Amino acid sequence: MMKNDGGVRLFWLLLLFLLYTRGKSYSVPGKPTLTRCRSPEKETFTCWWEPGSDGGLPTTYKLFYRKEGSEKEYQCTDYHTGGKNSCFFNKNDTSIWVNYNITVVATNALGQALSDPLNIDVYYIVEPNPPENLKVTIQNDKGWPFLRASWDPPTKADTRSGWITLIYELRIKLEEEDEWEIHHVGQQKVFNIFGLQSEGTYVIQIRCKPDHGFWSEWSEDVQVVVPNYFPNKRSTWVLVMVFSGMVFLILSWLLHINSRNLKHCILPPVPGPKIKGFDQKLHKSGKSVDAFKSLDVPDFPHHTFSKSEDLLVEYIEVYVPEEQELMLEKSNNLHNGCLKSENSVSDCDSGRGSCDSHTLLLDKSGQQTDTQESQTDEQRHGEALQGENLAYTHQDMVSPDMSAGRVKTWPSVFSPLPQNRSTEDQTSSLEIAKQHCLSDSLLPSDFLTPYHSPPGHCTREHLGSNYWEFDFGNKRPHLTQPQTEVCHQIQAHSEININTGVKAEPAAQKFPTPRSNEYVEVQRINEEDSVVLRPVASNYDKLFEMQQGEDYSRVKGVDSDSVLLLLQKEAMEEEMNMCSCEQLTDTTDAHYTTFATSPEKPTACTHPTPQPLEERVVNGYVDTATMFTMPPY
Amino acid sequence: MMLAACSVWLLLVCLVLYSRLKVAASAPTCTNGQAGCHVLSLANLFDRVIQHSARMHGISNDLHSEFELYFLPSKNQIGRVSRNCHTSTILTPNGKENAQRMAREELTEVILKLLVAWGDPLWHFHQSLAHNHEFSNFSSNKSLEMSDMVHELRKGVQKVIEKMKMLGIMGNSLGGLGSSESLLAPVSAEWRLMKDYDLLYCFRRDSSKIQNYLKILKCRIVPEHGC
Repeated sequence: MMKNDGGVRLFWLLLLFLLYTRGKSYSVPGKPTLTRCRSPEKETFTCWWEPGSDGGLPTTYKLFYRKEGSEKEYQCTDYHTGGKNSCFFNKNDTSIWVNYNITVVATNALGQALSDPLNIDVYYIVEPNPPENLKVTIQNDKGWPFLRASWDPPTKADTRSGWITLIYELRIKLEEEDEWEIHHVGQQKVFNIFGLQSEGTYVIQIRCKPDHGFWSEWSEDVQVVVPNYFPNKRSTWVLVMVFSGMVFLILSWLLHINSRNLKHCILPPVPGPKIKGFDQKLHKSGKSVDAFKSLDVPDFPHHTFSKSEDLLVEYIEVYVPEEQELMLEKSNNLHNGCLKSENSVSDCDSGRGSCDSHTLLLDKSGQQTDTQESQTDEQRHGEALQGENLAYTHQDMVSPDMSAGRVKTWPSVFSPLPQNRSTEDQTSSLEIAKQHCLSDSLLPSDFLTPYHSPPGHCTREHLGSNYWEFDFGNKRPHLTQPQTEVCHQIQAHSEININTGVKAEPAAQKFPTPRSNEYVEVQRINEEDSVVLRPVASNYDKLFEMQQGEDYSRVKGVDSDSVLLLLQKEAMEEEMNMCSCEQLTDTTDAHYTTFATSPEKPTACTHPTPQPLEERVVNGYVDTATMFTMPPY
Repeated sequence: MMLAACSVWLLLVCLVLYSRLKVAASAPTCTNGQAGCHVLSLANLFDRVIQHSARMHGISNDLHSEFELYFLPSKNQIGRVSRNCHTSTILTPNGKENAQRMAREELTEVILKLLVAWGDPLWHFHQSLAHNHEFSNFSSNKSLEMSDMVHELRKGVQKVIEKMKMLGIMGNSLGGLGSSESLLAPVSAEWRLMKDYDLLYCFRRDSSKIQNYLKILKCRIVPEHGC
């Protein structure tokens, strides 16, 4: 009965227990894990583990270990010193240079779980305590303060007997900074720190490590305030000043040495037109005649094309487009321009070319054959200006320059075109074109008249689209050889206009003078100071006819040997092709014209076919002439 | 002129060399505290020997780590390895107290025994590494260095012992230290059975023992310098 009661009681207890634990699952404990073992002084050590799941039941953990060389299994005796889930091995249980095989066993009501064994050698798991008694003092070294840090090894570590050898590491930073400066100290227990900031507060820490082991934790902070020492600041400033002064001196010296080069680099000198023999002052004084007289060269044709660089005359071809002609007819621009040109005596020597000077007609473009191709861009550039210029030219043409004896001339100095034609010059030349009012005094009978494309003329862009006639100064009346004469139109940027969509019409010349057939328009001056001439037709129709004719050839220019460069037929044809209007078909032969007086130079004929732009001449020119370049003197 | 310059230069070189040789030759071999001879202090000798042993241990550690990467021995093997060290017959103190309890002569003897025991095995280890093309030249060179160091260290320790004897620090109870054969006797040729990895493992431990014992000795005998 009693037993029955006990059994019933037990049954009820069990039932209650089961009811209590209803809903929970119980299992074998999870596998624990040995995390680490550490020895602070190489005499004892502690191992910690991480328990696994306890399976819902109270679990006990036991640590077992085996030592190397013996199969005997030992059990940990101290589970508390090291904290929770730890085992402390005291001195008696610790052997150095002996391999330990440690296992942790988790046990609960339902079973056990063994951890993975851990093999350690205490010699290699030493992690000492941080060094103690860190002291930092401020010392003085000839007025320069420095810090001296001193410390003691951790108490437990026995370094005195040589059992453990520790090396130290110190770190320092300013209080407000974030980054530490680490210094490796070695085995010594004293360390000096230099290079301090005046009135700075420093924080210092120290740590240690055995030969083969782990670094200890950093010790407690030690703060120290560096006193103010003035010489530091002053010397710094002195150094800075001296250094900057030296740098400044060196820079200025370099600048001085290279001043010329720099000046050339930054402010390049602006080339200005200069006319040989031209007296600015005289010109400014208003005595134009005298001024121009000075320009007179005794044997004009020969010297005109001298290669003297003094004759930096730039001239522009003016080319009046059809529309603008009409426009201009209504306005009195020409007169204004004439007035302007007459009145303006200023010499544009400052880079504006001879824009303001009616004594300077610069034709820069056409002269160099090689620049012809490059003129297209400039053509576009000058497009806007052309119209204006052309207007003037047109005006010139329309205006009764045919008035008896009155020949429009541009008092200009004919000079070889400079090699490089800049846009600026073109502008200036165009401006000159505006101002090419004829001065009455400079009207030789045979003069160059600006030709312009007659209305309705094809928009073909000739060389002469932007050229204007001018007189080689009235001092040279002897420029009257037919076909070579008078119409020395320096077609500056006629080439420019060639390929651009300038509406400037090919300069169809109108020759107000009856002697139109005899005039030669100077198309341009090539680089060899040869004037490219072309005959000037009297009127458009005539021109057109004449283009078909064989008598005329376009004068391409006059070269330095006073040789007229005439256009070749093929070149003309190429030009023609560009325009639908005109067809130069009759020019077949190359015509060579030697104009004036340097016969010693044979003329070399160059076929201009590859360069259609060169031959751009007003429609009025007959035939094509070959461009021939004279060899230099 | 060239000849003259060359001859002058050669003459200068010869003079320099001769002077150097003279200096070297004139340096007397210090024996038993000869006057005018710069004698290394015992502390200095100890420092040198300890540095040497530290370097040796470092190399053995490096080689052991390298081998661990290659071979990754199983955990079971580790327990077994320790039993295979051929120097396990040499009784070495395994704790601070044990080491401090030992007399300096005993300790010195243990050191010497260890050094002697490792001379041959390391040499053969180097030979096997050199012939085995699996291992890099780096490992082979290290093994050679290790082998040489053991011999050098042994000589150094013997010098220290001589010095100590001379200074009267150590008695003559160290028997048979001069003859290495007596020390080798207890050490059998078990090392031939050791595999390379085991050998390195054993040597790493023994070199650390040597280093530690030397330090203990130094701090016991000449404690004023860095102890």
